[in-house]
Amino acid sequence: MNFIMHNISFQREDRWLFKNLNSELMPGQCLQVQGANGSGKSTLLRILAGLIELQQGEVIRQQPLHYIGHQNGIKLNLTVAENLALQAALFNSSTCLLPVIHHIGLSPLQDTVAGNLSAGQKRRLSFAKLLLSKKPLWILDEPTTSLDKSGQDYFIHLLNEHLANQGMAVIATHHPLFIDEERNRCLTL
Amino acid sequence: MSNLIIAMIRYELLITMRAAYSWVTPLLFFIIVVCLFPLAIGPDIDLLNKIAPGIIWVAALLAIVISINQLFSQDREEGYLDELLLSSYPLTLLISCKLISHWIAHGFPLIIISPCLGFILNLSTHQEYALVMTLLIGTPTLVLLGAIGSALTVGIRHHGLLLPILIMPLYIPVLIFAIGAMTAASVNQPIVGYLAILGALFLITLAFSPLLTSISLRIGVNQC
Repeated sequence: MNFIMHNISFQREDRWLFKNLNSELMPGQCLQVQGANGSGKSTLLRILAGLIELQQGEVIRQQPLHYIGHQNGIKLNLTVAENLALQAALFNSSTCLLPVIHHIGLSPLQDTVAGNLSAGQKRRLSFAKLLLSKKPLWILDEPTTSLDKSGQDYFIHLLNEHLANQGMAVIATHHPLFIDEERNRCLTL
Repeated sequence: MSNLIIAMIRYELLITMRAAYSWVTPLLFFIIVVCLFPLAIGPDIDLLNKIAPGIIWVAALLAIVISINQLFSQDREEGYLDELLLSSYPLTLLISCKLISHWIAHGFPLIIISPCLGFILNLSTHQEYALVMTLLIGTPTLVLLGAIGSALTVGIRHHGLLLPILIMPLYIPVLIFAIGAMTAASVNQPIVGYLAILGALFLITLAFSPLLTSISLRIGVNQC
């Protein structure tokens, strides 16, 4: 099923953040949303995820989806392993957790409380849910923020694997991600 | 689904235990407020006994209001609330798990400590029994009602005293019947009728609160 956004507009306090946005994604494609600070990228993504009510227009998408916002969606008082176990329960995932911890590169830190991780490590931990349960649509807000070079490469690898498996992704980013030309779509706010 | 319920309650309790201030603060507030009254009023045992139910119940009510403030605020800051909203499980189920663990961590300690405070305020054995029973049935109702207000204010930064103003009027019926039971106990009358009404109030809020909280939460997050 394709992902379609049709004539989406959003108004905040008498100011139009964006007007009549249109885009369509086929399975295996990625939409990169770009724009200056305050142009409404995050708001658009929250609308597409269904967290903010749509004011005008229509979004056709497949539920369920994965959303990672500015905050990582992890509990800072739980350890890495406990966070994964909680997310596995939330997503009804029976995936074995140890390989996932290894995959995201946090094996030595699995008993560390998430609040004590660095910003980049927290980001890596937030990617765990992408592996725990496979969902056709990812909506990610600045996913490479605070990641080092190897972290960014790891994310690109994850994303390419997802797209190769006919997944779709909507990603807000300041720095364009290098994805195959035929998979890549762009939207500038 | 039972896996989810057990995991949610377990990890919610673990989170609260690790952030000890979140459950210790309301408990200490409860103890200190009750202990201040004998100091302020002086050694008039009869007067203390007469106003004890009101003191303990109002202090317990305020302690719950303080604790309920934290119900969703931390989750929102961590982005965990989005996870709950986008989960494939019903939001009412997830909220119910959170409320159960919130009551265990914040309501139950008040009940455990209340007989000691009743002793300070010169309560008889029958009154102590009434106190524990009313708190046991009443505090879950307070948590359930508070959750609705907490969800409504989740999108408002620095909402300060808005939450108490929103939810305290809803606490009035519980307070009236709990004090009714305590007053009846002080003249050695049966308290079963009052407990039954408190139980009915609990069941009514139990039926509606998770649903209203989930609707309020979606509205609250929409404002973020």
